[in-house]
Amino acid sequence: MAEPAYTVASDSETTGEEKSLPLPEIAIGIDIGTSQCSVAVWNGSQVELLKNKRNQKLMRSYVTFKDESPSGGVSSQLSHDIDMLFGDTIFNMKRLIGRVDTDPVVHASKNLPFLVQTLDIGVRPFIAALVNNVWRFTSPEEVLAMFLVELRLMTETHLKRPIRNVVLTVPVSFSRFQLTRVERACAMAGLHILRLMPEPTAVALLYGHQQQKVSHETMGSGSEKIALIFNMGAGYCDVAVTATAGGVSQIKALAGSTIGGEDLLQNMMRHLLPDSENIFKSHGVKEIKSMGLLRVATQDAIHQLSSQTSVQVDVDLGDGLKICKVVDRAEFEEVNREVFEKCERLIIQCLHDAKVEVEEINDVIIVGGCSYIPRVKNLVSNICKVTEFYKGINPLEAVVCGAAMEGAVASGIIDPFGNLDLLTIQATPLAIGIRADGNKFVPVIPKNTTMPARKDILFTTIHDNQTEALILVYEGEENNAEQNALLGYFKIMGIPLAPKGVPEINICMDIDAANVLRVLAGVVMPGSREPVVPVMEVRMPMVDDGHGWCAESLNRTYGATMDLVTLKKA
Amino acid sequence: MDASSLTSSLRISNSNQFHYLPQLSNKQQRPCEVHFTISCKATKLKNMEETKHGSNFYKMLSVNPKNATMEEIKKAYRSMALQYHPDVCHDPNMKEESTRMFVQLNVAYKTLSNPMLREQYDSELGLKNNMVINNIVSEEMWRSRWQEQIVELKKRSRRRMEQKEGSWGSRMRTQNMKDSY
Repeated sequence: MAEPAYTVASDSETTGEEKSLPLPEIAIGIDIGTSQCSVAVWNGSQVELLKNKRNQKLMRSYVTFKDESPSGGVSSQLSHDIDMLFGDTIFNMKRLIGRVDTDPVVHASKNLPFLVQTLDIGVRPFIAALVNNVWRFTSPEEVLAMFLVELRLMTETHLKRPIRNVVLTVPVSFSRFQLTRVERACAMAGLHILRLMPEPTAVALLYGHQQQKVSHETMGSGSEKIALIFNMGAGYCDVAVTATAGGVSQIKALAGSTIGGEDLLQNMMRHLLPDSENIFKSHGVKEIKSMGLLRVATQDAIHQLSSQTSVQVDVDLGDGLKICKVVDRAEFEEVNREVFEKCERLIIQCLHDAKVEVEEINDVIIVGGCSYIPRVKNLVSNICKVTEFYKGINPLEAVVCGAAMEGAVASGIIDPFGNLDLLTIQATPLAIGIRADGNKFVPVIPKNTTMPARKDILFTTIHDNQTEALILVYEGEENNAEQNALLGYFKIMGIPLAPKGVPEINICMDIDAANVLRVLAGVVMPGSREPVVPVMEVRMPMVDDGHGWCAESLNRTYGATMDLVTLKKA
Repeated sequence: MDASSLTSSLRISNSNQFHYLPQLSNKQQRPCEVHFTISCKATKLKNMEETKHGSNFYKMLSVNPKNATMEEIKKAYRSMALQYHPDVCHDPNMKEESTRMFVQLNVAYKTLSNPMLREQYDSELGLKNNMVINNIVSEEMWRSRWQEQIVELKKRSRRRMEQKEGSWGSRMRTQNMKDSY
């Protein structure tokens, strides 16, 4: 398997079926959720969700390592949730993929009924399933790939044709490094990603389609509508603000975070059994079973609290450990106060970034598994000052439907009725920049920049006669460079001898149509416009697992000897 | 090839970023003044080139420079985007060209859809010769930019206070902040 840095994505797009087939293959849309997943395809006139053999449109995202051949949630015949909680089943891959073992999300995953082991040094975590009393090592990519293979086979049986091209949706907060892990999982499953769409932007596309249908005559006219999309699933929470008219949805701002139903569940488990982390720490067979039982009982309770104000939790965890408790909705909301506050902050931030006032919002769309929780509905409607949400979108199917429409659009399908004259103008979910001005993160492409994009910033040296500069490329939102995700690093050499502050180091970042990021670095001396040394061009991300180490050891080795500062900023 | 694309990008994107700097440099003499002149030169060059080639932001969007309304500009942008956005362009040979087109289109839209940037762009194009109006406008523009910067600075300092103090980076930032006043 080739590493992403060496794959030639732009070429693979120009070769293959698209050219040779008279009718282009329609890419399918896949929504890989932390908890559930679904597949949809444009069937020529509308989007159709595909069902598995058990007639499910939404399939649980997990892989069980029971026998020699693992089986996933698409084909598995598990009758009850508890069957997947005995250590042999890996789930929540979407929470774990592309994260290092210092990541708080990975640490929170240690409470899951399989093995997540960390050494806390910035390498990939050790993840294993219990098969016949043996911990069998695997990785989130591998589990995701196995699951995708099942999805692919199911779709191929259904559509009676080989499937290669897919549009996959991802959380807003995924770093580019995480995207490469998703790409890798797809490649392992024999799938080619035509587009990776942030989940709320898929909803925006669907919304744009519906708006266009409603007012076909006002195509491109002034009836621009502002929508706020709130998407909260089991693993992630995303917000988008979009301006839509004439089938074109412009993403004005995105905000995302790693909070979701999983956090609500874990907080609630801790509430019901305060010492749960210690009790389950050893990960013995018995403990895993208790952990699984508690998990299922808590999950049921949370679901019931969406429709009733209190619920009786009654579960025997074995070993004399019994929980018998009445939990009411207020208690649930108090236990998860921080999660809900975080959701509120995300919405407020997104509106602020989009420069949209609450009064300007035409529609509020709320999707995802957590959209059924009364407190979540409340907080969204309170901030947006609306009494009701946009109707006509299924909260659990909107994302996959949008992905399927994008799949048709991206495959070049032309609909005679103009149903596919759609476009989502994407914005960067995270800022991309370099470390400069000390330990600061200086964005070159700011967050919410329209893509494709090309931007540059001038930097300069901090030492007299500094001939080399170290470029550390980060992605994220934090002021402190190291708190962001490292995408790569390289050195500029051959800066002419000059007093500090004189050489101009131009850092240019380019995101092309295929969402490929390239970083260009050139050295120019004042008065000249020609680069002194050949310009460097680096495709990012270039780091592999263990990148948590890189920045630290670079800092240890070089300190500030090769640092830069911004040239233009006051 | 890379070198030329880098220099060309220098000219394309500077227009937005560097406009406010000459004004700041009047207020406070900073050692990097020399760079402003280069940036401004680049900006001017760009505009001259545009007028020479007969294409400016208005022509790019096919709207009337004198009286195009915001709605018209948005509408033009959307219909152009439906034509030129690389996502809707399915000829692999055209992908790069359409990407370039769209990036330019977007710069044009960002400028013309922002009343302040549009005003400024108009005066650069020589559409507005009335110096009095220009001065008032630029005065207002300067003030609002200054306010924007104050807000941003305050935001940053708040964020800094929230973070734990004492890292080398935060000390440097505080130092820099002091230097700027």
